[in-house]
Amino acid sequence: MFDNYKNKFVPLILPICIIIFWYLITEGWGIVNPYILPGPITVCQSAWELILNGKLLTNTLDTLYKVFAGLILAAVVAIPLGILLGWYKTLEDIATLVISVLRPIPPVAWIPFSILWFGIGMFPAVFIIFMGCVFPILVYTIDGVKRTDKVLIESAQTLGASDWNVLKRVILPSTVPYIVSGLKVGIGIALMCTISAEMVGSSSGLGYMILTATSLFDPGTTVVGMLDIGLIGIIFDYIFTKIQNRIFW
Amino acid sequence: MSIEVKNINKSFKSKKTDNLSVLEGINLHIDDGEFVCLLGPSGCGKTTLLRLIAGLDQPSSGEIIANGDKVDKPSGDRAVIFQQYSLFPWLTVLQNVTFGLEMTKKGSKEENIAAAERYLTSVGLIDFKDSYPHELSGGMKQRVAIIRSLLNHSPILLMDEPFSALDMQNRHKLQEQLIGVWKRFENTIVFVTHDVDEAVYLADKIVIMGKNPGRIENVVEVDMERPRKRDSQEFIALQDSIVENLDMGD
Repeated sequence: MFDNYKNKFVPLILPICIIIFWYLITEGWGIVNPYILPGPITVCQSAWELILNGKLLTNTLDTLYKVFAGLILAAVVAIPLGILLGWYKTLEDIATLVISVLRPIPPVAWIPFSILWFGIGMFPAVFIIFMGCVFPILVYTIDGVKRTDKVLIESAQTLGASDWNVLKRVILPSTVPYIVSGLKVGIGIALMCTISAEMVGSSSGLGYMILTATSLFDPGTTVVGMLDIGLIGIIFDYIFTKIQNRIFW
Repeated sequence: MSIEVKNINKSFKSKKTDNLSVLEGINLHIDDGEFVCLLGPSGCGKTTLLRLIAGLDQPSSGEIIANGDKVDKPSGDRAVIFQQYSLFPWLTVLQNVTFGLEMTKKGSKEENIAAAERYLTSVGLIDFKDSYPHELSGGMKQRVAIIRSLLNHSPILLMDEPFSALDMQNRHKLQEQLIGVWKRFENTIVFVTHDVDEAVYLADKIVIMGKNPGRIENVVEVDMERPRKRDSQEFIALQDSIVENLDMGD
């Protein structure tokens, strides 16, 4: 019982130490200028203000909206394509060079084109998120299809399954764990892309909020925005880990 | 359903050697409802021959006729029970068992479930119908795999050392159950094994294979009453004579 109690609080030790240290060097002893690093109390005040005037919620929702739009779009393209490329070797051979070249390009490198092609607003951000998520999901899906146990495919065939049924009833479910891993990686990338995208071609969202706050000498809001992103990341990670635990094959 | 294996050759291309011949000049006739064991040392191509009959691989030359039709792809008529466990891990026992019926669109959903439950009851697995494969023991998994093929009314069952991973007690129990269902359903069974005792216990006809290249050495008709007794004179004598002639040299 004591062990449980102890383990639950172990992860909290370091954050508490950091907050205390942070408080001491800023608001406590005043070693660091508040414009260089705002103290925790200033950050809490900013957070409270942003909660009251609703800006935190609207910007968070705005960012999440883009993240999901980009991610879903990427999944819709990458999952069927991945299954196809994983199943038909020839198609994969045709596509592999293009994928290998496009994949290492950082999604933010698409920002200039995204603005040229989609202007300002939600679409360029969604496009950049799409470019960031599509490859990990694609590669994970291809890998999952290839790792489908051959015995399961052959069993299905000798039980009378058509090619379509083999794909739908064997390869797809067997690939699900890989697709979920791909989505988990994708959503992390999506979050990063969104913030970068919003800092350039956007007039809403957490990235926009962070950047404008900095130019308005409001470093408290900047930190609130950063912590908000971290929190969203943890929540997604938790949700996906729960989903992964439910997949037992 | 009878099976006719005609002049089968099978070789694999490999980088090191030019052409590795796995099977050479295989001719075999299997009667409708016959229980045939393919017996031989590892590397004699018995699994390859089974896969050719299943249509999972294609011969380099020669042909296989099952029930009058040339075998060129896998079919629900020839169910394979693999050595490795082959249940779908994301489906429950019941869903696994009805999989084939859904694929071949035999019967309504209710009928299929009722039939599946009847079969599962007969092998004592009804309490596990909602379990997932990873919750079952090895012997249970193979029993479910056999039920899955039987329920599909595959006239031909092709079994690739299905009991080799089990301990002796379980293996003997499953052999006995297999004979039971075979008598009831009158399937044609081709059963691959490297275990002489298993072959003598099960088969109407034992096809003894040799290797380098894989070939049929001898065919032994087993004319012994069932259920066979492992300690009978007849059983031991046949087993001994096969062991003597069998080159298990690994």
